[in-house]
Amino acid sequence: MQPTSSMNKEFLKKWQMGLQIFRPSIDNTSVSERKRAIKLSADVAMASLRKGTTCWSRALIQKTASEDNFLVRQMLSGIKEETLINKKLPKVMCHRKIVRRSKKILMRRKSRSAMEEVAAKAKKLVKRKTQGLRNAVPGGEFMSNNVLLIQETLDYIVSLQTQVNVMRSIVDAAAAGIER
Amino acid sequence: MDLTGGFGARYDGGQEATGLESLHLGDELRQLPPDGFTALLELPPTQALKLLHFTDSPSSSPQAAPIAPPSFASNLALMERPARFSTEHQQNGTNLSGETTTSSSVKTEPAETNSSSQAVNNRSGKRKDSDNKPKSSTKKKNKSSEEKEKLPYVHVRARRGQATDSHSLAERARREKINARMKLLQELVPGCDKVCLSDTKIQGTALVLDEIINHVQSLQRQVEMLSMRLASVNPRIDFNLDTILASENGSLMDGSFNCTAMQVSWPHQVIETEQPYHQHRQLQQPQQWPFDVLNQRAWGREEDQDHGNDHNSLMVGSANLHPNQVKMEL
Repeated sequence: MQPTSSMNKEFLKKWQMGLQIFRPSIDNTSVSERKRAIKLSADVAMASLRKGTTCWSRALIQKTASEDNFLVRQMLSGIKEETLINKKLPKVMCHRKIVRRSKKILMRRKSRSAMEEVAAKAKKLVKRKTQGLRNAVPGGEFMSNNVLLIQETLDYIVSLQTQVNVMRSIVDAAAAGIER
Repeated sequence: MDLTGGFGARYDGGQEATGLESLHLGDELRQLPPDGFTALLELPPTQALKLLHFTDSPSSSPQAAPIAPPSFASNLALMERPARFSTEHQQNGTNLSGETTTSSSVKTEPAETNSSSQAVNNRSGKRKDSDNKPKSSTKKKNKSSEEKEKLPYVHVRARRGQATDSHSLAERARREKINARMKLLQELVPGCDKVCLSDTKIQGTALVLDEIINHVQSLQRQVEMLSMRLASVNPRIDFNLDTILASENGSLMDGSFNCTAMQVSWPHQVIETEQPYHQHRQLQQPQQWPFDVLNQRAWGREEDQDHGNDHNSLMVGSANLHPNQVKMEL
């Protein structure tokens, strides 16, 4: 599904609200400062649209909270704290080299056929890709299974799309205005 | 038989609520290529190993789903008394799509004559390929048409040739969920359509995932770039979105962004006022803008009467001005 215009509007509203928080300190002249402010407020706006229902939104809010707690608190005044915390998954700490070595030994022990090898390699490839996807999507580490991962990715992509649309339209409009 | 009870309960717990999946048997009667069969058989046992971990099910779904080995002992009891069950299976004909909820499911679970030896191996997931070939030959070809019993469990009719134990059913349900969502993703991500997921190739799934990752990363980069542009284009724009909003609003509502709406020369004012920007006057600027804009042409052209109210809601600080402007423009 593509972002709807109502989504655009809501995002814009929230984003504006976030930017207003920066207005008092408007004299931060450096471009990077402004860019940071823009991006952070946009991220929080995007995440707040989901109101803590999705994993990625919570993770995104957490990330921006680590950078600018005040902004997050202001923008999310209406949401309870509990909904925004991601449950930390129990992680098994394995030494990667040891795991790899034991896997190699297992593979050697197993009887191999051509098809089996192909299947195993393909599965490894898919596993690697899903890991890459987890890294790309915020909060991917908290998604315990692949179903959830893909669901979250869907939602995240749609939200990113709205963000891009709104930002681009503003930039274009401003650019067009300046030309005149 | 208490086994069925236990089995049913286990199945219910394992099965995610996908409701009734009436998977039809017909096509599964095709003859399996012996070589392919072994390879395909290889997948589910490894899945059995990983059942408790969450595997990348897309990898396993394509091949395992249609032609999963029927030799799975659907019940632990089968392992213990393989010989007895094997004969019974032969008698009862296939119920490869055995309903998990049937009372006689234990006896009618799909199992070949050779499954007895398999049964022990199945659970541990260490299947020997050598056993697979005989299995294919002894696979029952009868369609199962067993009635579903009314039991308070989620009913899933397994395809012919598929395992019916709770774990694999749950696994299969998960796989199908993932497939459905991958299809959604494919529609969403541009350029994914050529990679056909229904191809049931693992490589297809990897390609789709690749595309998705690329798309997500490109979107993230676009956001970065756009925010940088916004920050650099004009120091005022970012923080005074309310004025931009007024014109944006119309286009946003239409869902299409119309640059003509922004044929505003207020940026002139911005550039001129950049000098005093950093001074204390800047706080007054926002109020002055709309007035300046009024002198320019067609700023609120798109804004209709109805938009005036919306502007008010969206505006921060300069709400009153816009309806006035709109009226004056008109």
